[in-house]
Amino acid sequence: MNDLAIHTESLAKFFGKTHAVDGLDLKVPRGAVYGFLGRNGAGKTTTVKTLLGLLRPSAGSAEVLGYDIRRDLVAILERTGFVPENKTLFDSLTPAQLVHFNQGYFPKWSSELVGRYAELFEIPMHVPFTRLSLGNKTKVCHLLALCQGADLLILDEPSIGLDPVITDLLLRVLVEDHVSEGKTVFLSSHQLAEVERIADWVGIIEKGRILLETRLEDIRQNYRLIRAAAEAAPAITSPDLVATQSSENFWSYLVARDAEDFATMLRAKGMTILEILPVSLEEVFLGLTRKEVPCISGKPGMTLATV
Amino acid sequence: MYLWKAWHDSRNRVVLYILAAVSVGVLFGLDVMSWANWHAYWMTISPVRLRSNFNFDMEVTFYTLDWLVLDYGPIVVLLVGLSLGASSAGREYGAGTMNFVLTRPAPRTNFVLTDWTVGLTAMVITVGVLALGALPFLCLVHAKGPGNVLAGLPALWVLGAAIYGLSHFTTLVAGSSAKGLILSVATVLTYSFLPTALHEWWHADALLGATQWTLRTFEYGSWPLSSFDWSVTSFWLAVTAGFMGASLAWVRWREV
Repeated sequence: MNDLAIHTESLAKFFGKTHAVDGLDLKVPRGAVYGFLGRNGAGKTTTVKTLLGLLRPSAGSAEVLGYDIRRDLVAILERTGFVPENKTLFDSLTPAQLVHFNQGYFPKWSSELVGRYAELFEIPMHVPFTRLSLGNKTKVCHLLALCQGADLLILDEPSIGLDPVITDLLLRVLVEDHVSEGKTVFLSSHQLAEVERIADWVGIIEKGRILLETRLEDIRQNYRLIRAAAEAAPAITSPDLVATQSSENFWSYLVARDAEDFATMLRAKGMTILEILPVSLEEVFLGLTRKEVPCISGKPGMTLATV
Repeated sequence: MYLWKAWHDSRNRVVLYILAAVSVGVLFGLDVMSWANWHAYWMTISPVRLRSNFNFDMEVTFYTLDWLVLDYGPIVVLLVGLSLGASSAGREYGAGTMNFVLTRPAPRTNFVLTDWTVGLTAMVITVGVLALGALPFLCLVHAKGPGNVLAGLPALWVLGAAIYGLSHFTTLVAGSSAKGLILSVATVLTYSFLPTALHEWWHADALLGATQWTLRTFEYGSWPLSSFDWSVTSFWLAVTAGFMGASLAWVRWREV
């Protein structure tokens, strides 16, 4: 059996001249919680849809749970729980009827879990879906995915509309009931705090390509932000350098490992090291993906702290 | 399970159609009975020379077929076929639920075949009860039984299947019930009036002749004098198969 729950090689999806996914290499280990992060339009949802057969890949290959997405789609869908981005189900059916509809497709369906999660998430089971709030619609989508006995859960923006209490419950359920049993969770999300809380792997995608794929623990232990000052920026090349930002005479370097060695190299090039800081997932994400706009307001010196 | 969902979505409409069709059938049956009784009375008081020109059995059958099956049958078939087709799987695209449907572990074509099963069954029952509602009354007044009413039903069913197929396919292509229905109605209108327009404006008769051939089963006087027309029914059967094939190909091909 393949050790990877999801494995793509040079996966691509083109819409005319738009390259929504452009040579994506993804390796999601089995039993992991994988945070799939990216800005709007980065290609997250297109990737998810391609993995589930809703879109046909333009090039490359992909396997989900060891099955080829072109040949073995039904086998993949039998083993994969999916919460779509739009959280839209059949308007005329109640959650109880949606459960009835869904359970027939999945041999490992658990009616016991339906009762437990419906109570835990406080889902009104006999109200038509169209009359539910966004939060309750999201809960129903999760209920259907969590109870089907899937080996892999693909959750696209899983916490849309959920209050912090339910979000907390959901994350705990994912970890305690599913990851603990060796199941894989693939979280496509903008909510970096949620991902940081439960993920053990992260992949950051931008313009359809993976920018970074690493263990979250690696970020915590090895990634560092080095702030330095100098009259002029020296040319820096290093395999450890992840991202660079500059503002007038100040530079920030995000390095993946060996921060002290990197700082020594900067000093050797005449730079003054101001500080070396551990980084959060958010800082890594911003460092990799944000646009270089030093002052959005046009008022130099204005920062979030002074607004 | 999609069968359950398709039935759940269409059952109220189907029950309404069936009740309406039964009501129409029974009303026409009662009308036929009163008409027959009046003619029976008229036969007793009319001059002998008029009675010889009057074929009672044939008139009763014609009357019923004309109003119930020949005139109303195709209209019922058109309305029921268009309506059921427009409420099929294609509307899930517009409703945003197709990604949920197509991530259930089943071949995509199963959803289309399930739609067809439910849609055609509903259409066959609805159109059937339209004629069957009147059947007991026809048997009462017609010495030789209900005539060729039953022979006409398969032709109506096949026409209904073709119209359902058209509506199902256009709904899939358009991705919404309303747009699919508009496309279907536009197609039916074009089919009905384009040949006549070509004939009137450019004296091109070939298309008109072909169209009239495809609809000749449903012209006034076709039944009960003519027998069941296999060639025309086969044409509509081929059209039905074409639409089913197109729907299956489309749902396999289209991305969500």
